[in-house]
Amino acid sequence: MLSLLGGVFLGWALGSNDASNVIGPAVSTKMLRFRTAAAIGALFVLAGALLQGRSGVHTLSGLTGMDLQEAVISSVAAAAAVTIMTIFRLPVSSSQAVVGAILGIGIFNRQVNFSGLGKVVACWVGTPIGGALAAILVYRIVALVYNNLNLPMVQSDALLRLGILAAGAYGAFALGANNVANVTAVFVGADYLDMTLALLIGGLSIGLGIVTFGRPVMNTVGSRLVRLDPFSAFVVLLAEAITVHFYTFLGVPVSTSQAIVGAVLGIGLLKGTRTVSRKTLAGILFGWFLTPVVAACVALAAVAMVL
Amino acid sequence: MLKTIFRKQHQVEVLIMKYLEAFKMTQENFSLALETCLTDDKACGDFTFLSGETHRFESHADDVREEIKTLMYDKILLPESRGDIMRLVDSMDHIPGYMEIVLNMIKTQMLVIPEFLIGDIRELMKASLEACELMSFQVQDLFRRRGRIKELVSVIDLKESQCDKIERRLISAIFESELDGFQKLQLKELVIYLGEISDHVDKLSKQIYIMSLKRRV
Repeated sequence: MLSLLGGVFLGWALGSNDASNVIGPAVSTKMLRFRTAAAIGALFVLAGALLQGRSGVHTLSGLTGMDLQEAVISSVAAAAAVTIMTIFRLPVSSSQAVVGAILGIGIFNRQVNFSGLGKVVACWVGTPIGGALAAILVYRIVALVYNNLNLPMVQSDALLRLGILAAGAYGAFALGANNVANVTAVFVGADYLDMTLALLIGGLSIGLGIVTFGRPVMNTVGSRLVRLDPFSAFVVLLAEAITVHFYTFLGVPVSTSQAIVGAVLGIGLLKGTRTVSRKTLAGILFGWFLTPVVAACVALAAVAMVL
Repeated sequence: MLKTIFRKQHQVEVLIMKYLEAFKMTQENFSLALETCLTDDKACGDFTFLSGETHRFESHADDVREEIKTLMYDKILLPESRGDIMRLVDSMDHIPGYMEIVLNMIKTQMLVIPEFLIGDIRELMKASLEACELMSFQVQDLFRRRGRIKELVSVIDLKESQCDKIERRLISAIFESELDGFQKLQLKELVIYLGEISDHVDKLSKQIYIMSLKRRV
């Protein structure tokens, strides 16, 4: 049971860092109160994990041949790296943290499979680019429909609120479906948990992270990187959810942080790059670089101490 | 369907229409009161009653404005829309205010409008109230359908220019007249406040247009 706490810690860290990606725009545009948004986010994360989380868990559990002890170390190391980044208010990828931790253990065991790393890194690059392209495409299409509707002020407002809420819920669903694998797949791989229990614990721990520590990163994406108007916030959420959900069908766990930052940059490109805060962007990119490194170092240190 | 889901948001629309109704009644009573002064040189008759009615509807508009603001503080709309609506109703509220000032000036200063100014004053009042009515259509369009807002901006702009011309003509006529200096200053102030109505309506009309533009992406 104690071993599972590593997974729960990772789930909590993931939820607290990724909360901004699914409920951030709704809260930073002051459309919903944090508590309401967090409750909705947690509920949909759990639904996503239980209903569509299997394929990702299958993929990840087959990738590693770690024993239970190594699984716990990698989870705790990844969780520690993500939590540090959350304290610095940086949206990062828990997938990167997990891979970094696995690499750290691999370095200790002198068993690093660099050939497989290429695919992972390709996904890290592909997710933000996918997010940006999805945002540009969604913006163009939805803007066309929205402008043609020519809605009066209050109806337009109501529709946007509903859209942000629905897209946020969809994003949370995609987050649960895609990222639950990062949290509990290693335990399934180590035959410690069966699939349903792994999905339930993963979904609940991510939800707990959203509700209890989701606030710090929220403003980084919602207002510091690009000040989002309600329509752009809706597009960003939808594009992020579509990108992450797309990878869910492929069974590849990706980062909602990378998808949403890509989407926000896509909107920034559409509206002119001057709207993008380069300082915040540089901080986020630095966080992406630092996360696997920190996770690898923590895992290396932990594994050296324990084993 | 949206109206059912967002019942409270729909309430904003209802209150705005209620405000416009009170705004219209204020205009009508103002117009009748001022007309009384232009036709009855004693400036009495129904004037006291009508200026009282103008004040009553202006107060009612104030109450509705406060109701709208309270609803806004309930955070039922997006923050940007809340700000826009609060600025709009605050700005609109200046117009009944100018109307009341004009009537109060006549009442408290016992102003009698000389015969040679009556035609232009009547024309200025008519054009100003027409601008007000057009601006009300813009507000209705903003909250019901956004069809004519842009076209109405230029029509209101023309009305405002027309009012400016009449205002200048009136001030020139006042100072070219044989009236005593004090009376000239009193009448000039009255004309300026009357002119403020169309100036303010013009500003509001542009504000409404920007509000509608902001809702296009």
